[in-house]
Amino acid sequence: MSVFDLLMGALLVASALAAVTLKNAIHAGLALVGNFLALAVVYFALEAQFLGWIQIIVYAGAVMVLFLFVIMLLFDAKADVGPNPLPWMRPIAAALAALLFLALAYAYSSLGPIDPLADVKLAGGLPKALGAILYGGWLYPVLLVAVLLFAATVAAVVLVQPQIRKTRIKPQVLERDRELKEVGR
Amino acid sequence: MSYLLAAIKGLVLILMLLFTFAYLTWAMRRGLARFQIRQGPNRVGPLGLFQPLADAVKAIFKEDISVAKADKFVYWLAPLISFTFALAAFAVIPLGPKGSLFGLDPWVAGLNVSILYIFAVAELATYGIFLSGWASGSKYSLMGGMRSAAGLIGYELALGVALLGPVLLVGSLDLRDIVDWQVKHGWLALWQLPVFIVYLIAALAEMGRTPFDFAEAEQELVGGFSTEYNSMKFVAFYMAELLHWITASALIPTLFMGGWHAPFGLPEVPILWLFIKWLVFIFVVMWIWASWFRTRYDVMIRFAWGKLFPVALAWFLLTAYWVASKGGAV
Repeated sequence: MSVFDLLMGALLVASALAAVTLKNAIHAGLALVGNFLALAVVYFALEAQFLGWIQIIVYAGAVMVLFLFVIMLLFDAKADVGPNPLPWMRPIAAALAALLFLALAYAYSSLGPIDPLADVKLAGGLPKALGAILYGGWLYPVLLVAVLLFAATVAAVVLVQPQIRKTRIKPQVLERDRELKEVGR
Repeated sequence: MSYLLAAIKGLVLILMLLFTFAYLTWAMRRGLARFQIRQGPNRVGPLGLFQPLADAVKAIFKEDISVAKADKFVYWLAPLISFTFALAAFAVIPLGPKGSLFGLDPWVAGLNVSILYIFAVAELATYGIFLSGWASGSKYSLMGGMRSAAGLIGYELALGVALLGPVLLVGSLDLRDIVDWQVKHGWLALWQLPVFIVYLIAALAEMGRTPFDFAEAEQELVGGFSTEYNSMKFVAFYMAELLHWITASALIPTLFMGGWHAPFGLPEVPILWLFIKWLVFIFVVMWIWASWFRTRYDVMIRFAWGKLFPVALAWFLLTAYWVASKGGAV
C-alpha cells in the first residue's frame, strides 16, 4: 500500500460515514457526491478511464442531482427527530453488520499481499475494449440486466399510480358538503 | 516534468480565460447596447475600455453580505463549485495540431475520452447553481435552483444522445481525433446537421442564455439562484456563466466545424482559425441574446423532453444503422 491508497481509503470511508451520520439530508447527499468522486479517482488510478468518467457523469452528476432535487422539493431537509418508527430494527442491523465485518475479515485474511493501486492496471479501461467485452461475450447478461431495470421502472410507475388517481378530499370539505345537503333539505 | 508542464499550461490557460472574461463583459455590454440603439459603457477610458477594471475594483471592495437564513457552508461552497468547474472545462479543447505551440501540444490535458470529461465537468458545474438556490434560504432562489436542475437533466440528456451520432461516425471520444476526422472527411456540421442544430439549442440551455435563462428570470424570480449573493461571490457566478459561453463557443467549432483546421483550403495558421470561429459563435450567442425573449419555463422543459430528445434519439439510431451497414466507423 502507498500513501495515495491510504489517502483515498480514508477519504472514501470518511465521506461514506458522513453520508450516513449527517443530520441534514442535503449535507448527507453532498457527502455521497464526494464519495462518488473519490471512487472515480480510484478508477482513474486503475487506468479505467471510461469507468471513472461514467461514474462521475452518471452517479455524481445525474443520479445525485435527481436525489437532491427530490430532497429539496419534498423535505425540509431536516433530520426526522420524532420517535424511531422501527425500534426492533436496531439489534437486527447490528447483527447483520457484525456478520458483514466477519465476512470482510475472512476475505481480507484470504487475500495475498496487496499491490499499490498505481501498480494494478485494469486491462482495457478504454471505451472500445469495454464495449467489446460488454456487447461481445457478456451480451446476454447485459440484456437480462436491461430487462430487469425496465421491469423495475414499470413497477415504480405502477406502484405510484393509485396515489395519484385517488382524489384527496379534506374532511372539512366533506363536512361542509354534508351540512349543505342538510340545509338544502 | 510532465506534471509541471501541465500545471504551467493550466495556469496560462486560466489567466487567458480570466482576461477573456473581463473583456467579454465589455464587448457584451457594448455589443448589446448597439443592438438596442444605446451607447453602453463609454466613460471609463477610451471607448469604455477600462470599464472591466472599474467593475473589478467595485466588486472587490463592496461589502460582503451573507444571509441570516443561509446554510453557511453550502452558501460559500456553491460559487466556488460553479467557478472552478467552469474554468476546468476548457482544458481538453485542442487549439492546434500536435506540437504546434512552440513545439508543445496546444492543449492542457490530452485525455482520450475528452468528450466524457466535458460532460462530467459541465454537470458538476451546475451543482453550484443548484446548491446556491437551496443554501440561500430564500424561496425565489430555491425556485431558480430547481429550475436549473430540472432543465439540466432534460437538456443534458438530449445533448448526450445527440453526440452519440458524431462519436459513432468518428469512432472515438477524443476531440483531437474528431478534428482530424473532419480534416479528412469534411465538417461534421454537414454530416450530422440535425445533431448540430440540437447541440446548438442544448448548448444555449446549458449556458443559461436567453431564451433559456429561466433559472435567473428577473421578472418572475428577482434573479433566481443568485438573488442572495453580492460582491465577489456574485462575480464568481457571473464569471462561471460567461466562462460557459466562452468554452461552448470554442467547443462547437471543434466538434462540428473542423476545429483549428483552416476552412475552404485557406492557409493553416495555428490557433488563428479556431479564434475566428470562436468569435463567430460568441457573436451568434450575443445576437440571439439581444433579439430573443425568454420562453416560459414549462414550455422549455417540454421542448427538451418532447422534441429535442426524440430527434436526437432517432438520428442516433439512423447513424448507428448506417455505420453498422458500412461495417464500422468511416
